[in-house]
Amino acid sequence: MPDHIPQPGRWASGELPANVVLGEDSLITGPKAFARFRSTREPALVIGRGCTLDGAHFAINPAGQVTIGDACAFYGSVLLCELEIRIGHHVYLGWNTTLSDSDFHPTEVAERHADVLACSTLGEGLARRPYPSRPIVIGNDVYIGHNATVLKGVTIGDGAFIEPGAMVSKDVPPRARVIGNPAKVIEMIPSPTPPPS
Amino acid sequence: MIAKVQRQFAGDWEPAEMPENIVIDDTAYVHTVYCFDLVRSELPAAVTLARGSQVNDGAMFDIGPRGRVHIGECALLTSPWFLCDAEITVGAYTMISWSVVLMDSYRVPLDPEGRRQELDRVARSGWRKIGADVPARPVRIGRDVWIGFECVVLPGVTIGDGAIVGARSVVAEDVEPYTVVAGNPARFVKRLAKPEGFP
Repeated sequence: MPDHIPQPGRWASGELPANVVLGEDSLITGPKAFARFRSTREPALVIGRGCTLDGAHFAINPAGQVTIGDACAFYGSVLLCELEIRIGHHVYLGWNTTLSDSDFHPTEVAERHADVLACSTLGEGLARRPYPSRPIVIGNDVYIGHNATVLKGVTIGDGAFIEPGAMVSKDVPPRARVIGNPAKVIEMIPSPTPPPS
Repeated sequence: MIAKVQRQFAGDWEPAEMPENIVIDDTAYVHTVYCFDLVRSELPAAVTLARGSQVNDGAMFDIGPRGRVHIGECALLTSPWFLCDAEITVGAYTMISWSVVLMDSYRVPLDPEGRRQELDRVARSGWRKIGADVPARPVRIGRDVWIGFECVVLPGVTIGDGAIVGARSVVAEDVEPYTVVAGNPARFVKRLAKPEGFP
């Protein structure tokens, strides 16, 4: 489209938080996009050009940082971030996909018990307990289907295809097609054959 | 171009427009006109709802220009999402629970290079929805089927009459009639007795 005139990025429901960087031609919709945005990082959320973030939720905790490349399309996706979520260019996230880089509570029972108390209405002044978090890294050209979930510490390689409903708890190699809970590789997507020289 | 008609259903605050190629039997129930907001089909009878069928709040018919959906007699749809570019049929007396996705197309190519082109197109479009011209494969749900909540039925799948699909299953392969399947991906669990006189 040669006569395309770039427009400033915008959130359809209001003013963006000051520590959000939104590229040209990018659009965020959904009144609750920043309802759970608590990051104090500078910047906390960096979004490239030409992204469509339709009904996205950016639930980013104080130390969390999310980066999203160019020309991504997310529909009704939930990003839960404690540490870091890094997403490449041309990434598609289907309806109701969830990315979570943290467990948000400890697993060990006594620690978890103390953490629940600290979270409760009786927990004023009590410290939260440490819990495991590890960054999520998603490469370029990745497809993540409807209702799929990506858990903490996962790296998804360039060009991977995550089938709808998949539960991704381990790394996915580039150009792999995965399905299931837990997600397993069912196919490697062939690279384009170079034209005959 | 398909003309619009004004309709008002049980859950609507006021009348709203929907395409006139949606054919709803007088005895069928639709909660709100909003469920047809993404119907772009140019076919006659793009969506048909047979006698006694029911479409409750939260359902969404996202139907491309050449898509067609048929809902059979007394079918009970809680809030499924239809993503249809070819054909999705739901048989009579079938129940589909909440947030089930029935899709006959991924709407993007499997190869990353083709997908990149489509996302570049979306980035510069006004409509901002994906919809690459990739082959769609019809989804057929039989009669007397029961699909549990948050399931996904993938393109090309046929679910046989009388089958049950457990909640949160992902159905990637055909399901035999009168069987129970569950899991992600869905696997055979057991057979169900076929009652006398059933097809």
